[in-house]
Amino acid sequence: MKTYGTEPGIPDPVQVGISELVVTEGDDTLKSYGLGSCLAIALYDPDTEIGGLAHIMLPNGDEIENSDAKPGKYADTAIRALLRRMVERGASYTSVEAKITGGSDMFEFESFGDGVGKRNTEAAKRELEKLGVPIVAEDVGGTEGRTVEFTPGTGTLTIKKANTDAGVTEL
Amino acid sequence: MRLDVNALGTFYRMAREGAGLAAGRLTRMTGVETQVGITKLNFMRGTEIRRDFGDGTDRVGVRVELSGGLDGHSVVVFDRESALRIVETLINDAETDEFDEMNRSAATEVGNIMNNGFVDGWADVLETVIDVSTPEFIEGTTVDAFFGDIDEAPDDDDLALLFHSNISAIGTEMDIGFSHYLFPRRESMAQLLEQLRTNEGIEYDKLDGFDRMAEQGAEEVAKTATTLTGIDTSVEIRRLNFVSLEAIPEAVSNETLVGVAFEFDGTPSGYLVFLFDEASAHEIIDAMVPMSPDDGDDEFGEMGKSAIMELGNIMASGFLDGWANVLDTTIDHSTPEFIHDIGSAAIDPVIIQLGESQDFAFVFDTVVVADGREFDCEIYAIPDESDLERALNDLDVDKIDETPTTAEFGEIENT
Repeated sequence: MKTYGTEPGIPDPVQVGISELVVTEGDDTLKSYGLGSCLAIALYDPDTEIGGLAHIMLPNGDEIENSDAKPGKYADTAIRALLRRMVERGASYTSVEAKITGGSDMFEFESFGDGVGKRNTEAAKRELEKLGVPIVAEDVGGTEGRTVEFTPGTGTLTIKKANTDAGVTEL
Repeated sequence: MRLDVNALGTFYRMAREGAGLAAGRLTRMTGVETQVGITKLNFMRGTEIRRDFGDGTDRVGVRVELSGGLDGHSVVVFDRESALRIVETLINDAETDEFDEMNRSAATEVGNIMNNGFVDGWADVLETVIDVSTPEFIEGTTVDAFFGDIDEAPDDDDLALLFHSNISAIGTEMDIGFSHYLFPRRESMAQLLEQLRTNEGIEYDKLDGFDRMAEQGAEEVAKTATTLTGIDTSVEIRRLNFVSLEAIPEAVSNETLVGVAFEFDGTPSGYLVFLFDEASAHEIIDAMVPMSPDDGDDEFGEMGKSAIMELGNIMASGFLDGWANVLDTTIDHSTPEFIHDIGSAAIDPVIIQLGESQDFAFVFDTVVVADGREFDCEIYAIPDESDLERALNDLDVDKIDETPTTAEFGEIENT
């Protein structure tokens, strides 16, 4: 049973951890596990099939020093970094579309104010609006966690919740 | 010896950088894709390290001594099986199950290249030169075989700072995993911490004291759980970690878990989360409310939920009262929030909130288990960093052993 490196064929999904972002194209699948109040931002260009997924944890990187070091951590910096990397790879800025999911608020703690998930969602929407990227689908908020998979080739964002009744949603 | 978050943050970056380089070299050597699992800066006592090795698995290790920019020992420990599989990829030979001379030298070579990967990563971050001794091959099952003669490895009661990473193969049938331990020599570490420190920070002994206090808190939680459920529970793992916030949810299972979360307020303030797997939650509900209609399906009825929340509430009080008594302060906790969801989703709101003001956190990781019955409870206590520093500076270390953690459940077992 010798296996050398990753075999071609059906590739395993590439995991996008918290504060990470990955740009790819075609049939590659990007996956983020167990988003609670974190937000998954999927951008893709349907013409070139280039797209990416960001798994952000905080709203505003522009207010933070050194946010360039980890652009995937913040909604605003992650969106710009995704767009830049996609365009560098050949995507056309004007045809890029966005899908977002996550940003739940599972706890009503006093210290959380209006909700940590809500803050992330609002920040992402603000930045996308500013950059003129249309949000073509969203499934945000609520009180449940989500595991998401994104394939740039089809633009499909699959969302799975822990509660089995909710099943799998496709955006 | 004093330490602060900046110094520990640099240590953490060293650990990550080193693990990345080591994984890359393993991939180049074997052609197997590897990934770095969770990298942690652990504050561990000898007893805890002993527990890591307690399962009687056969292991092999490659150990080097470091000097120069950092003094200490760096040890790569593989499961014996993993090491054999790696050797097979290097030597084109039939399957092997013995460490003959050739296998031994191949395994040593692998371990040595990994150790050097770690060391190069640390040297980069520290911008210094670290010298590495000739590697030593070790085969054994107990902790003593690997660390017994290392001076800086902690005795049972000593708290040592150690770097701990896991690297595993991905996308293949080959099951390779290994652990890496770095035991820095105390004087060398003190010197580094001094260089890296940017503010007053915390006296190391205070951290040691706080950890002992948390140990009592954990014992208290197990005792409370036993009293309330009638299930005989004990503390299985307990350690103080210093990690980047992102690493906290990544260490939690992607399975659906049942949990109870609290925010606590005082010096320190922070968050406390208890997580059970579903089977354990059902077992607890059965034990606490035997007449409840819960029939073992995925849903938890109102009675079940309130039983879990009640248990969480009392365990939280036990845990935090212990801290408050030693710190001679009051720590209030919120009402319990029930959660039944993907494990990591239960933790990420907490790290997001803390992430507004800090990049790293001290995490008091505890696992409480029961013999022969389902009761697996993971406890995450994550204090707000600035409050914690203040609380620790006020800590009277001598007071810890004499202070009972709670009035309610009486005496403390100091094991």
